[in-house]
Amino acid sequence: MIAFQVQLEAWLRSFTSVADFMQLRWSWPAAESAHFIGLTLLFGSIAAWDLRLVGAVKQVPISAFHKLVPFAVLGFAINVTSGLTFLMTSPEQYVYNPAFHLKVLCLLLAGLNVMVFYLTSFRRIAQSGAGQQPPLLGRLSGAVSLALWITVIICGRMITFYRPANNCRAADVVSFLADCVVR
Amino acid sequence: MFDPLFSWLESSSWSAWIVGSPSLFAFPGILAAHTIGLGLLVGLSAAFDLRLLGVAPGIPPRAFARFLPVMWFGLWLNVVTGLALLLAYPTKALTNPVFYLKLSLIAGGLLILRATLRRVRESLAISGTTKLLAAVSLIVWAAAIASGRLLAYTCTRLTVDFPCE
Repeated sequence: MIAFQVQLEAWLRSFTSVADFMQLRWSWPAAESAHFIGLTLLFGSIAAWDLRLVGAVKQVPISAFHKLVPFAVLGFAINVTSGLTFLMTSPEQYVYNPAFHLKVLCLLLAGLNVMVFYLTSFRRIAQSGAGQQPPLLGRLSGAVSLALWITVIICGRMITFYRPANNCRAADVVSFLADCVVR
Repeated sequence: MFDPLFSWLESSSWSAWIVGSPSLFAFPGILAAHTIGLGLLVGLSAAFDLRLLGVAPGIPPRAFARFLPVMWFGLWLNVVTGLALLLAYPTKALTNPVFYLKLSLIAGGLLILRATLRRVRESLAISGTTKLLAAVSLIVWAAAIASGRLLAYTCTRLTVDFPCE
């Protein structure tokens, strides 16, 4: 695991032109602002969609809410881009950071949830009209998505508080928390 | 001029707990909750603005009133967590002009939201003015978010006794 992390850190560090740009006075704060604006776009569109899936605003057909999804994708694209600039500038703050690990895990689970949703219940749900409650699997998918994205936001905020001390490397999370975390 | 007040707030046990406690429910938890409140209030407000600008025409604009309880929850969550963060570092926020800019932008965003909600309640058609308000709302919220982020980079005094950085 550690060998993989060291390789990943070195690879992220190889994008020196991005890192150089991010060292400019206002680059990092601007990228952070973009990351939070992207978060809002993503979370707002997803929340409206998920709340409808869970059962809110039943009088509106679900397919009408689905038109908001491209804006969630736009928010996600903004955040992957701005997020990568952070990773390429200070990879050591993320690659060895348990809060970041949990964030990535929740992102992967959210992606998996979307995939399962589109492969199983989407077609039926897209055809359902006004006043209809989605099937249990659809409602479950909405609830899981909301919970995962909230966890992603919490983990993202926790990254600062689980930054490893300079050059601190640990073999597992327990020794990491004991030896490396500066708070 | 307000240093005695800042100093009194910073020496209070609440402020000391938020800043100094190793608990994840102290400063980190409050910060995370503030971000979730932001996502709920501004995120849903932005979705409403996008609808007014023509996205997802199948959703009646009035239907967004159903999300109002969620947006209110986000707003109050952020009033409470925002006050807690202010109590944690009063000098840092209150000596920074960007903080007042952020508060003004939030007030502007909320007033526009109230106006657009009233307009869709009163008329089924979306007028040009309503669309303009929706566009301005998106810009105002984006500026509020950016100014909030920039608070960390524009402060000059962290506490009464310590400068920023």
